[in-house]
Amino acid sequence: MIQADLSVILPEIILAVYAMAALLLAVYTGKDKLAAVLVWSTAGLMAALGIWIGTNGGGTQEAFGGMFIDDGFARFAKVAILLSAAAVLLMGLEYMARRNMLRFEFPLLVALSAVGMMMMVSAGDLMALYMGLELQSLALYVIASMRRDSVKSTEAGLKYFVLGALSSGLLLYGASLVYGFAGTTKFAGIIQVAQHGEVSIGLLFGLVFLISGLAFKVSAVPFHMWTPDVYQGAPTPVTAFFASAPKMAAMGLFARVMHDAFGNAIGDWSQVVAVLSLLSMFVGAVAAIGQRDIKRLMAYSSIAHMGYALMGLASGTQMGVEAMLVYMAIYVSMNIGTFAFILMLQKDGQPITSIDALHQYSRREPGKALAMLVLLFSLAGVPPMLGFFGKLYVLRAAYEAGLAWLAIAGVVASVIGAFYYLRIVYYMYFGDEGEDLDRSNSPILWVFLMGSAAVMVFGIINMFGVDSAAAAAAAALVR
Amino acid sequence: MEEMLREYLPILVFLAVAAGLGIVLILAAVVLAVRNPDPEKVSAYECGFNAFDDARMKFDVRFYLVSILFIIFDLEIAFLFPWAVGFQDMSDTGFWSMMVFLAVLTIGFAYEWKKGALEWE
Amino acid sequence: MEQILLFAPLAGAVICGFGHRFIGEKAATVTATGLLFLSALLSWITFLGFDGTTETITIFRWIESGALSTDWAIRLDRLTAIMLIVITTVSSLVHLYSFGYMDHDPQWKDGESYKPRFFAYLSFFTFAMLMLVTSDNLVQMFFGWEGVGVASYLLIGFYYRKPSANAAAMKAFIVNRVGDFGFALGIFGLFFLTDSINLSEIFEAAPVLAETQLTFLWGEWNAANLLAVLLFIGAMGKSAQLILHTWLPDAMEGPTPVSALIHAATMVTAGVFLVCRMSPLIEFAPEAAAFITVLGACTAFFAATVGLVQTDIKRVIAYSTCSQLGYMFVAAGVGMYSAAMFHLFTHAFFKAMLFLGAGSVIHAMHHEQDMMNYGGLRKKIPYTFWAMMIGTLAITGVGIPLTHIGFAGFLSKDAIIESAFAGGSMFGFWALVIAAFMTSFYSWRLMFLTFYGKPRGDKHTHDHAHESPMVMLIPLGVLALGAVFSGMLWYNSFFGHADKVGKFYGIPVAEAATKGEVTLGTDSHGGLLHDAEEGDGEDHGAAKEAEHHYVFAGKPGEGALYFAPDNHVLDDAHAAPKWVKVSPFIAMLLGLALSFWFYIVNPSLPKRLAAAHQPLYLFLKNKWYFDELYDAIFVKPALAIGRFFWKRGDGNTIDGFLNGVAMGIVPFFTKLAGRAQSGFIFTYAFWMVLGIAALVTWMTIGGGAH
Repeated sequence: MIQADLSVILPEIILAVYAMAALLLAVYTGKDKLAAVLVWSTAGLMAALGIWIGTNGGGTQEAFGGMFIDDGFARFAKVAILLSAAAVLLMGLEYMARRNMLRFEFPLLVALSAVGMMMMVSAGDLMALYMGLELQSLALYVIASMRRDSVKSTEAGLKYFVLGALSSGLLLYGASLVYGFAGTTKFAGIIQVAQHGEVSIGLLFGLVFLISGLAFKVSAVPFHMWTPDVYQGAPTPVTAFFASAPKMAAMGLFARVMHDAFGNAIGDWSQVVAVLSLLSMFVGAVAAIGQRDIKRLMAYSSIAHMGYALMGLASGTQMGVEAMLVYMAIYVSMNIGTFAFILMLQKDGQPITSIDALHQYSRREPGKALAMLVLLFSLAGVPPMLGFFGKLYVLRAAYEAGLAWLAIAGVVASVIGAFYYLRIVYYMYFGDEGEDLDRSNSPILWVFLMGSAAVMVFGIINMFGVDSAAAAAAAALVR
Repeated sequence: MEEMLREYLPILVFLAVAAGLGIVLILAAVVLAVRNPDPEKVSAYECGFNAFDDARMKFDVRFYLVSILFIIFDLEIAFLFPWAVGFQDMSDTGFWSMMVFLAVLTIGFAYEWKKGALEWE
Repeated sequence: MEQILLFAPLAGAVICGFGHRFIGEKAATVTATGLLFLSALLSWITFLGFDGTTETITIFRWIESGALSTDWAIRLDRLTAIMLIVITTVSSLVHLYSFGYMDHDPQWKDGESYKPRFFAYLSFFTFAMLMLVTSDNLVQMFFGWEGVGVASYLLIGFYYRKPSANAAAMKAFIVNRVGDFGFALGIFGLFFLTDSINLSEIFEAAPVLAETQLTFLWGEWNAANLLAVLLFIGAMGKSAQLILHTWLPDAMEGPTPVSALIHAATMVTAGVFLVCRMSPLIEFAPEAAAFITVLGACTAFFAATVGLVQTDIKRVIAYSTCSQLGYMFVAAGVGMYSAAMFHLFTHAFFKAMLFLGAGSVIHAMHHEQDMMNYGGLRKKIPYTFWAMMIGTLAITGVGIPLTHIGFAGFLSKDAIIESAFAGGSMFGFWALVIAAFMTSFYSWRLMFLTFYGKPRGDKHTHDHAHESPMVMLIPLGVLALGAVFSGMLWYNSFFGHADKVGKFYGIPVAEAATKGEVTLGTDSHGGLLHDAEEGDGEDHGAAKEAEHHYVFAGKPGEGALYFAPDNHVLDDAHAAPKWVKVSPFIAMLLGLALSFWFYIVNPSLPKRLAAAHQPLYLFLKNKWYFDELYDAIFVKPALAIGRFFWKRGDGNTIDGFLNGVAMGIVPFFTKLAGRAQSGFIFTYAFWMVLGIAALVTWMTIGGGAH
């Protein structure tokens, strides 16, 4: 029995044991001198685990009496989480090494938060949910303030921690209400109680609090306020990480709770999620216009994108979940390329984050400017880039679920949002005389930037099979 | 009713003994102690801080570090205690679960020790 | 072979248009011309070796969308074969001619490269035209139809520095849109009713369409009539028939070779081709056919009247083209499609020649186009003079009456006039005879003003008038052969007896003992018939009908044309009274005599006549005031509406709204969002709490709480 359970969570165990062993090894030997090696080995392990999970396993296994679920949905999310975390880890290597902020704890914290995320998307119980969530969050709080000597980084970590604690409190409060009114913490048990039309007001309150806690993690409006400050304050590689894997995990968890625990009360949560989605799309689009700092801008961009992903979830259908997964996968791949670009921006060795520095960028670096143009078009949802198809998926899902108003609002918001993406393109190609940035010659970043841009262009052929995988994953979740 | 109240009788006795002992000790101090007051002696003790001062005053972050580290092991005890009480009826799974937990904790402890978090300077 | 024939011009256009930077101007233009000559050669082989059976050659699968399913295919039948030789022959000659004509064009500065562009357009036009005539379905035909429209637009506006050329190009394009709209509606209607756009399937469905009613606009119509009229509207635009004719004279802004190729010999005949191609449908649409006849006759008459007073040499020929197209439509309207095709065929030769001849004159006169500044050029440019003379003899219809000996135009025009008479359209008959008189008048007027009399105009220009180079004279010579002999050679095939015509077009014919009684199902194919050597004398028609009489017995879609069982126009035309047959010749002689008197004997007379009848003269001179009328009715209001939508609708309303939102409201909210992001952690927490309070309240009051 216990062996069967352990074999289900083998990937998580491997990653956790690796993280602890590496921690001890590093702290007793070379300390920070080992950091680069650890980055590579951690990224390699996570990528290997991602591929392993992606290619192996089928069906649905439960462990620990249903507290841990390993199904198609979880596997899809885990693959995305592990691969994006590995990618972001590698991207940040050079940036951190040059600025002397590469600590050996960084890759291990990323690995531990990845364990937490894997736990989250596999959670089958409110307790497991909370455990995964906190494991992830604690690691994230720490790496947000990794530059202890930087006021901004410390501030970012503190804000994130305090607000994160508040949201955890909300979530726990919701969980306890749900437990109180459903009599169980298991999703499988809650869904029996929460039949549509018979949701008691207490359970409903619990649901709203749970959603609020989760909304904080996906940075949905009005629980988004931490995002711009943390994105801006944290070191850029950390921001890149925040914008990719944890978002995927949080959306996965969101979908997991909504469908597994409250799948019989879709009407109740769908409208809440729809409102969150609507607010996120508009606030993300409108507020980003005023930003001159590209990291802050990407924070609002991520808020808006989460709005679209939530739109898929709000439709409450299998297609909606599929659309959400496709959207998230595309979003994460776009973000990796975009942050690779941002990581390359520097002048006299100092990182540059102001978009004003991009004036006439295309003159100096035509190749990178073109790749960035593709990515920005994709982020804005301009056909024929992949980002457009992501939006198309969620809009269609929302429309077919009867949320036409939300779909229309999404289109309007995307028009507003296109402005600030296209403004960067404008600066790069038609801007005034710009300053001379350093020529970055990091092959890793170059590969990620170009690869991501290429995915946005060539992905439209068959999306590399992501859409069918997402369909299978959605089918596993929505029953 | 009677039955239930009677079960609380030891607590009542306990309370009475505590109260009595407290009174005896205080009275003994009043009667026997040498009285030689100065300002340091009469002020309230508050962990090295002035009792009445700006709450937002700065103090060394190491206090926090120590307290956080303390809390972790404090909670560990809270976790270990019921485990120890129920040790007789423990399954192998239960036993090894705690061993794993302690191992994780030990790794953390080893890390913080080696990292120098326990040294004041 | 057909594929090579078809795609050689496209290859030429691509190589010449895009490749001239790499292979050089000379090589590019020579390649395009060479490929067209190849195409022409293959066309003649196809035409001469063609046995009349309809073939379909599939090239690739094209559209697959619901019920709409079609191949890109060639429908090779006699109609296509005729068009193939007309197009490729004239086009290849025009290519050759252009080497001379376009050399040192004064419109361009030294060193500017314009020739490859010109040749590429010409080749592209040829390709599109071939697409049009070879298509086996209406959508493919529409592709070609629009392709030639584009090519025409590009070539009319070839001198893009001239505002008048640009205006003319736009006019041609826009007027054609009106016709194309009708054409497109016709295609939609056919697809709607028959679920197919393939010609063969539409033809089979034609009898059914004749009994179908279709609601369109305000009323119920007979489907066949309505669709035929809609298709004809498309034909009207392309073939410059009355109402939609205004673009053709203006199209003369293009270089003269273009006028010869597109606006005389090929593209403008596409409408005639379309009507003939859709003969199975027209045969079931008597009212539409009558409409076609009347409109064709009106155009023939109208254009001829305008042609009388024009002084620009190209415009005279342009109106003459317009008028001749009217003839063709009359023939098609009365049901004698074969005669329409006959005239199309001969007209292509002599009209192309007239245009190229005119081009040669213009070239000689240093791009002077006004005939009033010509005169006495006969000696200066003898070859051109003789070519123009042959063209004039052909268009005016010179021949020996009551025989089949004469210039090409004589045979084909007489065939049409006889058909009009036989088809019972007296209006058409008389309009065409009068038009023939006027044709003769203005054609000879052109000759007399240009080549006879005393030199007028700039003396210097006359002194330097010179004969054109060989590359321009050779095409004239080749076309002269066509203008002289094409009528006599193919008379029987186009307008002989039913068996000949049937064999030519691959239409099954049946032997009938007496007129009207058809024994179906006997000889189902013309090729099986024994050769009845008849029709060589002038006593054809009724005289021999007792021995061998054949009638068309094809079903719709069998063969290239369809003649309904009750269509006896061919026989009736052959049996027309002698005065009818002679009438066009007399009209021609009268026109010649009048013209001779006006311009040779008494050259001052026209001026006095014009002064005496000033209103009539101006009416004709200004082309019946069509342009002014359209300007007032359509162009001005359209511009006004456009300006209204632009300024008020687009500028104020839409731009105003969007600018208001984009520059007022959105930044306001941006500022608001920025202010909300205070940086204080308690603000953030406050917003979170506020959010959750709102959500909880909402769920409690309005949401799903029960």
